[in-house]
Amino acid sequence: MSAVIRAEGLVKTYGRDLRAIAGVSLSVAPGEFVAVLGPSGAGKTTLFRCLTGLTRPDAGAVLMHGRDLCRLDGRALRTARREIALIFQQFNLIRRLTALQNVLAGRLAVVPTWRVLSRQFPAADRALASRCLERVGMLERAEARADQLSGGQQQRVAIARALAQEAAVILADEPVASLDPDSAATVLQTLRSIAGSGVAVIASLHQVHLAMAYADRIVALRDGRVLQDAPVAEIDARAIEQIYGSRGEAA
Amino acid sequence: MRRTPAARLRFAAVVLLVAAFYATSWQLAQVSPAKLMTGLPKMASWARKAWPPATDELPVLLRRAAETVAMAAIGTTAAALLALPVCALAARNVTPSMAVYYPVRWFLNALRGIDSFVFALLFVAAVGLGPFAGVLGVALHTWGSTAKLWAEAIENVPPGPLEAAAATGASRVKVLGFALLPDVGPSMVSVVLFWWEFNVRASTVLGVVGAGGIGQELKNSMDLLDFPRLLTIILIILAMVTVIDQLSQSLRRRLE
Repeated sequence: MSAVIRAEGLVKTYGRDLRAIAGVSLSVAPGEFVAVLGPSGAGKTTLFRCLTGLTRPDAGAVLMHGRDLCRLDGRALRTARREIALIFQQFNLIRRLTALQNVLAGRLAVVPTWRVLSRQFPAADRALASRCLERVGMLERAEARADQLSGGQQQRVAIARALAQEAAVILADEPVASLDPDSAATVLQTLRSIAGSGVAVIASLHQVHLAMAYADRIVALRDGRVLQDAPVAEIDARAIEQIYGSRGEAA
Repeated sequence: MRRTPAARLRFAAVVLLVAAFYATSWQLAQVSPAKLMTGLPKMASWARKAWPPATDELPVLLRRAAETVAMAAIGTTAAALLALPVCALAARNVTPSMAVYYPVRWFLNALRGIDSFVFALLFVAAVGLGPFAGVLGVALHTWGSTAKLWAEAIENVPPGPLEAAAATGASRVKVLGFALLPDVGPSMVSVVLFWWEFNVRASTVLGVVGAGGIGQELKNSMDLLDFPRLLTIILIILAMVTVIDQLSQSLRRRLE
């Protein structure tokens, strides 16, 4: 299957010799759920920032629809970003708005400015936002204010926001690191089913067993390089555990 | 607690400096308890002459008080409208560039640094006597103060939600209007109410420089030594300020 997003030889060095990533390549197909694993400092965050165009790599390219995101700026970069939806560790919902309004934030790029400022979203967008909330099992709380929801519920609303963006790629940076085990399972199950509908999902995770349980493929990073990149069935879990174990960091 | 000799020396130096500061200030401020002692009986006799307060001019005085409230309201509203576009430029986290941020901050600090009283003095010379000069004075000073407080409210907003909205590919105006405004809106309204309340109090003295309102009547009565009328004016000011304070505070409490 052809890739929807492809990173080629990404290199990013901070300061004189702190090399965050040193030649990372990665390609993800529609419908695939890829988990990026690695101890802190392995380069996960830098890789994700490069994939979204937030950080410009020193070398390499991020290709989407034949265009290199790393060479875009201004309006062109904004347009390209519509195709990549982000999910954050801290959810990043607008606390005083309702769950539904937060999901509508996923439509900001395509709705006219006056409608955004007056909060008069078109009926079609409102219906889409409701469907997205339904898919993550949060439709009943549509009118609840974001700051009244639990962490797991907030993350599900954030996933609905990403869905409402109708992006080809969803990037989730440590989506379950701040959640309890039950909420984490629900969130990963939701991401799993979204990938099943044809979206490419890339999530960085801390726990190997969660990656093994929910992802199709695992990309293990260490010291800014790809250590392993293989379907879950072919992954040697013990070899992966080692990249954490050798640093004394329990997975 | 035992002090080292160095600490003791430092303590003595600080005490000496503070004492010198107050001695100099006392001199500069020409504080004279003797003058106060001779002045007090004079004021007591005024107070006796002031009772009962004059009521014959009540309609005129109430109109003047309304003028003061109106000056504060128009001036504060104009200031808020002017502050709206500027505050985003003066907030570190959303300003388009530091090359805009610094000049805007300097400009706002200059407006803030000059009191509305001083502005009103200038405007009385420029546009003539009357409440309009007061409105302009209030508007300029409040513009700087409001924009600065709003910018600070914006700077305290957590960056995550803004980043998330921007990541959808939305333009800057949409991000600010949709993700920022709901967060800072209530505190922005609260700031405006505070300044309205403050400006009603401040506007009572604007009349002294000829910029309209109840202050002008205050000055006239003082110049004519018409104490019953002066007392009426002071009572009107007290009532007006109390009502506005209560109203503004109850509105602000409802915003939280």
